[in-house]
Amino acid sequence: MNLELTDISWAHHARTLIAFPALPKQAATLVVLLGLLFSGNLVADDKLDFNRDIRPILSDNCFLCHGPAASTRAAELRLDKREPAIAANAIKPGNPSESDLVDRIFSDDPDSIMPPPDSNKKLTSRQKEILKRWIKEGAEYQQHWSFVSPERQPEASSIDQFVAKKLSTVPLNGTPPAQPETLIRRVTFDLNGIPPTPAEVQQFKNDIGGRGIDAAYQTLVDRLLARNAYGERMALAWLDAARYGDSSVMHADGPRDMWPWRDWVINAYNTNMPFDQFTIEQLAGDLLPNATVEQKIASGFNRNHATSDEGGAFAEELRVEYVVDRVKTTSTVWLGLTMECSQCHDHKYDPISQEEYYQFFAYFNNTTDPGMQTRNGNQSPTVRVIPTELRTQLDSLQLSIEAAKKKLAERKDAAEPEFLTWVDQASQKVGVKIKNAEPTGLTQWYPLDETTGNKLTNSVSGAIANKEKGKWQNADRSGTKALDLNGKTQFISNEKTIEIKNDQPFSFAAWIKTDGKSSGAVFSRMDVPQAYRGYDMWVQGRSIGTHVVNTWPSNALKAISVDQLKINTWQHVIITYDGSQKAKGVKIHIDGKLSDNAVEADTLDGATETTAAFKIGSRSQGANWRGGVDDIRIYDRALSTKEINSFPGNPIEHILSIPPNERQAAQINALKQHFFSTVDQDSMTIASQLAEANSKQQALNAKPLTTMVMQDNPADKMRTTYILERGQYDSPQEEKPVNAGVPAALPPLPELAPTNRLGLAQWLTQPEHPLTARVAVNRYWMMLFGQGLVRTPGDFGAQGMPPTHPELLDWLAVEFVESGWDVKHLLKLMVTSGTYRQSSRRSSLQQQQDPENLLLSYSPRFRLQGEFIRDQALFVSGLLTDQTGGASVKPYQPPNIWNEVSLNGGLRYRQDKGKNLYRKSMYTYWKRSAPMPNMMIFDSPSREKCVIQRARTNTPLQALVTLNDPQFVEAARKLAERILTESAETSTRIDSAYQLCTSRKANSREHVVIKNLLEDERRRFTESPENAKQFLAVGESPKSASISEIDLAAWSVICQMILNLDETLTRN
Amino acid sequence: MNFETESRRRFLMRSGNGVGAMALSTLINPSLVGSLNANEQNRSHPGLPQFPNFAPKAKRIIYLFRAGGPSHIDTFDYKPEMRKFHGEELPDSIRQGQRLTGMTSGQKSFPCVAPMFQFEKFGEHQTWVNKDLLPNTASIVDKISIVKSMYTEAVNHDPAITYINTGVQQQGKPTLGSWLSYGLGSENDNMPAYIVMISRGRGQLQALYDRLWGSGFLPSKHQGVKLRSNGEPVLYLNNPPGIDRVGRRRMLDSLNELNQGTYDKFSDPETQARISQFEMAFRMQTEVPGLMDISQEPQHVKDLYGPEVEKPGSFARNCLLARRMVAKGVRYVQLFHRGWDQHGSLPVKLTQQCQDIDRPAAALIRDLEQQGMLDDTLVVWGGEFGRTIYSQGKLTKDDHGRDHHGRCFSMWMAGAGIKRGYEYGATDEHSYNITENPTHIRDLNATILHQLGIDHKKLTFKFQGLDQRLTGVEEEAHVIKGILA
Repeated sequence: MNLELTDISWAHHARTLIAFPALPKQAATLVVLLGLLFSGNLVADDKLDFNRDIRPILSDNCFLCHGPAASTRAAELRLDKREPAIAANAIKPGNPSESDLVDRIFSDDPDSIMPPPDSNKKLTSRQKEILKRWIKEGAEYQQHWSFVSPERQPEASSIDQFVAKKLSTVPLNGTPPAQPETLIRRVTFDLNGIPPTPAEVQQFKNDIGGRGIDAAYQTLVDRLLARNAYGERMALAWLDAARYGDSSVMHADGPRDMWPWRDWVINAYNTNMPFDQFTIEQLAGDLLPNATVEQKIASGFNRNHATSDEGGAFAEELRVEYVVDRVKTTSTVWLGLTMECSQCHDHKYDPISQEEYYQFFAYFNNTTDPGMQTRNGNQSPTVRVIPTELRTQLDSLQLSIEAAKKKLAERKDAAEPEFLTWVDQASQKVGVKIKNAEPTGLTQWYPLDETTGNKLTNSVSGAIANKEKGKWQNADRSGTKALDLNGKTQFISNEKTIEIKNDQPFSFAAWIKTDGKSSGAVFSRMDVPQAYRGYDMWVQGRSIGTHVVNTWPSNALKAISVDQLKINTWQHVIITYDGSQKAKGVKIHIDGKLSDNAVEADTLDGATETTAAFKIGSRSQGANWRGGVDDIRIYDRALSTKEINSFPGNPIEHILSIPPNERQAAQINALKQHFFSTVDQDSMTIASQLAEANSKQQALNAKPLTTMVMQDNPADKMRTTYILERGQYDSPQEEKPVNAGVPAALPPLPELAPTNRLGLAQWLTQPEHPLTARVAVNRYWMMLFGQGLVRTPGDFGAQGMPPTHPELLDWLAVEFVESGWDVKHLLKLMVTSGTYRQSSRRSSLQQQQDPENLLLSYSPRFRLQGEFIRDQALFVSGLLTDQTGGASVKPYQPPNIWNEVSLNGGLRYRQDKGKNLYRKSMYTYWKRSAPMPNMMIFDSPSREKCVIQRARTNTPLQALVTLNDPQFVEAARKLAERILTESAETSTRIDSAYQLCTSRKANSREHVVIKNLLEDERRRFTESPENAKQFLAVGESPKSASISEIDLAAWSVICQMILNLDETLTRN
Repeated sequence: MNFETESRRRFLMRSGNGVGAMALSTLINPSLVGSLNANEQNRSHPGLPQFPNFAPKAKRIIYLFRAGGPSHIDTFDYKPEMRKFHGEELPDSIRQGQRLTGMTSGQKSFPCVAPMFQFEKFGEHQTWVNKDLLPNTASIVDKISIVKSMYTEAVNHDPAITYINTGVQQQGKPTLGSWLSYGLGSENDNMPAYIVMISRGRGQLQALYDRLWGSGFLPSKHQGVKLRSNGEPVLYLNNPPGIDRVGRRRMLDSLNELNQGTYDKFSDPETQARISQFEMAFRMQTEVPGLMDISQEPQHVKDLYGPEVEKPGSFARNCLLARRMVAKGVRYVQLFHRGWDQHGSLPVKLTQQCQDIDRPAAALIRDLEQQGMLDDTLVVWGGEFGRTIYSQGKLTKDDHGRDHHGRCFSMWMAGAGIKRGYEYGATDEHSYNITENPTHIRDLNATILHQLGIDHKKLTFKFQGLDQRLTGVEEEAHVIKGILA
């Protein structure tokens, strides 16, 4: 026994001196300690308790070979159940000396002793004695505690009663209540993630004076629970569990948009969504009847996992890996079970067989998302998310569009007489019918008058160009049909005869309409991988021209127009080439007018024929152009100036020259189009308003925000689930399909529960479920008390630690369910308890008797999590941006963090400017292959996997962050500006900084230390004003001009120090 | 950890408030800094009791990691017979229907490629080494053991590189270096126990991930610290502009005084930890830049590494820095050199890669030897998998590529109880399947731990109910006894 105590004290001391966190490694030791504390002395009269005293020993030392897993069971002996253990003579109740188990554990013979020497397991003499005594007492078994539904025990009815009861067995007292300043700072951090303002502290103290601490504190807690910051704080913990990030993790780790899901979580907490609903919507929101967009967004919980885009990967292997992750995350977060152990074989410690694992797996195995994912952006299935402000904009645009359309139609009706008059007059002006002389040498002619069919016809050869990619969209060119290339649409011709030779002439002609932004090929025959060999008609912003290429750029010709194309206007372009292999042999005409050439390559002297196909809208790869095109013609000679001048005909004049009674309906329609779009001023004004609204609408819809969601295959395409041999994706036991289901050791599914994720979620949230409420309550407890009542919050199984206060845990779980899974109610219950409100000052007796605070005899004192440390610095300095939710932001980050590890090394971090530098840390863009280093140094998980308990370490690197990271240096400066502006007196300023950072005033000793330092700093900066200037230049926020630089620099050092106080960095 | 250390620590902790001041004065007295380094009893990060489990051969390790999958065929696993079947289809009897990556599984033809380089036998053991690409490595072949029968189940970069560094293909597990930091602690309070440096290489750069030096479920104090060649060598190491060392010292003295007041009030040992944390940070601010400054190295040492050593961020520079780090008590240095993924143009690209690393790697072995450190420093060289005997893409007279190959590949180890001038394991004549002494990457990790005095089964951490370890909770792993001297 002494030995173990020594171990414990060592473990604790090592930890405290060097700041180990509470390591689960010490779990076994802590179990011993728990046993000691709660069973009193080892020789106490209390009867041993199987779950508390025996199961942890058996599980840790024996179950690996003698536990629930049939496949690895040795000597056909199982010790996790009473009857088989007795039947095998391992245990003879009441009679240790005749129990093989006792024989074997006390044996000295290496061939006989259990656990065997090569297992690396060893029972302590105390553990051996306990097992012996247990058999003597009758070797009673209990069902594992966490698999039995919780019930309220009658002996206590509040948190404090349960805690006091346990304390009285030691005996030990609790600690007096914390000071009001400490308490308000503690609870504000715990519920809002930021410290209280000095005004709030004062208000609280005043309220205590007026109404007493209890009433004042109730009001305070209610106020904190009602703030938006509450939802943010709660969501932050959930993001770790949900492995939320802004990138895809594996291989390229490309970006994704999942922040609408993150905002859903914040909102769910803020609206106090009941935890059962919170659960159902995240696990199966998409499967709810008439699921709302919000509910679908919620289901994104199970799309947050890592995905891969690696070129050589096996899609099915990855897809299975995603399902495995969902099982693991769901079981960890809601069941507190290490279900993943059964992926390859039966669970060694808990009653979960491999088959049961795959039954659970089946719930998540039917989704439509593929294994291979995109490298850039969201992978389907997704839903479009329209943020509120965008929704408002779109709605108002829609109204203007409809109004303009109506107005336009009205104008057209009203202007019918004016139209007829114009037709008469214009027809008279045109007179006789015009006939265009058609030049010879036409080899290609795509009139582009098709309206559907995804096919374009070459009217010279009859060859067809098929749509290869993109959407079919028609454009209208003054009443004739044309083609609209949207930047994705491209057509490919099967015709192999369209050659352009480097030394032979050609002419290209086409109608085009450009937005002036897109560059690309109107048409081409160009082999991109083979050094761009071939030709194209090329739009480059507002210029038009051509490439003729043997090898780009060493043997190529490129000329584009100096004259600019008009924006969004149909213009006719003719490019001729005389076969001279010189750029000056290229003549570019826009609407008949010859432009000067801008020459970008003039080195052509080699063949240009290529095997690449003729394409409209792109090159062999890429160079997709966005714009309107009509009437493409290619001639095998250079057209003459005369031909160009008479080319092309004007279709409107042509119609007008036709006698009125011979005009067809389509032609009359074209005249109307022309009249209303070029002649009638009223229509034109309305039309331009309409066009403007349309283009705004298009722009807003151009890059729609989506978020990834869950979606199941339809019933007729369900994927069958098989047990995977050793968990290998390519080894399904196909003779043995399994159906979705839950482990037999847990309650059955509710009647009528659907056989899908929704059924699973309903099962989890049944009021009598033994795990869901306990696991959730334990996590909330951990959030407020630093450690859970079960100190292994991810393992409520046999290998986990039993609860320190089992009755309290059960009482809280029942309370939680009976309150309607009311999270705010539960948290309020916890933070208003006397246990929570204790001081963290521990007496030496407490230090000795309760070093790990297992008895809750004092309030824990621990370092704030990294996000809170940064947010506090921003908050007290007045920098923090007050905004809830929205896209993730990129604050200061040292250079080269991303490109040092990124695929191909080129990915840069583009830091934001302005208010995005000062958002709460939970909104920082989380790239999971290279997460924000100043948070990682403070134990933030990378969020590649579900984490529900962070380590809490103290390392020198953390000191470097809070001292040197520009974010913190800038915050110190702004804090200094704040206190210097708010008060003129040194002592007041010191108190004010202290109040902001620690919620209390500085004491006299602290005043002395700070004043001394302040004098030294003033002297230092006075001697070297340049240092002050440099120091104050850190950070992008402007520097106050009204404060002397020496003063501000000196005070900034003081503020740095105060921001780095142990008390500032700690939840007290 | 000896008894004296424990009892001293216990004494310190038990004697209450007075100790705070005492510990504080110890920590901030500059004259004691030297003795702090030398005196293990004062190590603030001592590792676990019972570790090492037995007398270690290696005190430290430098791991030269070739990220991307270097071709074993073109470096160490050459056979003259390959010349005979150059250009011929890979026989089905060799391939045995095994899965190929998505990059070549659609390929219709799988022509075998003999290396387009000259090979020669070097050293007493007459080991084949690529004479064109690795002349310097060839010259130290009598100092190293080459394991030719390494294998891994992973054939894609992300899972494979995660696997070899953490023992598991999926994310979330601690790396070798963090296991060492956790188990053995740090020898130098002013330096991290586990350091990573990255150099770029010239080929296709596959991504790296922070998880490759992460601590997984171990506390984050065990995560590797990335030393950077540009800007601050350690993130946030430099004082802000305008704050010099004297000024910082003055402020920290005041801060310590105020924190001591907090300790007096709350008696929380974590406050003491915080005080020492700020002191360590302060010392690290000089220690790290000092170590990064190679101007103190004699010219003849720099000459060993070649002219590239003058270039920050080069592999040569990082090798020399690694030697300087381990000499100062850093337990584990891993050098990532990127760009070994030659799916195409292998003859040109592999040549460039080897130009980067051949001379510095050999120099590191010689330098360690000259400094008397090779006997207790373990050096490991290798990547996450090998490459295929068949060509990815078209095989031409002077060009070809190779796809990923996990069924066999080569690594070498040197120093610290490893046989000198030895080859272990063998593959078939196509260097496709292992014929002798298959060695899983778990075995490699078990061997590394073994050389550091650790039984890989004993270095465990209870997480999610299991005694987790680097070599996995399920699988067998065996120390590669054959290469131990």
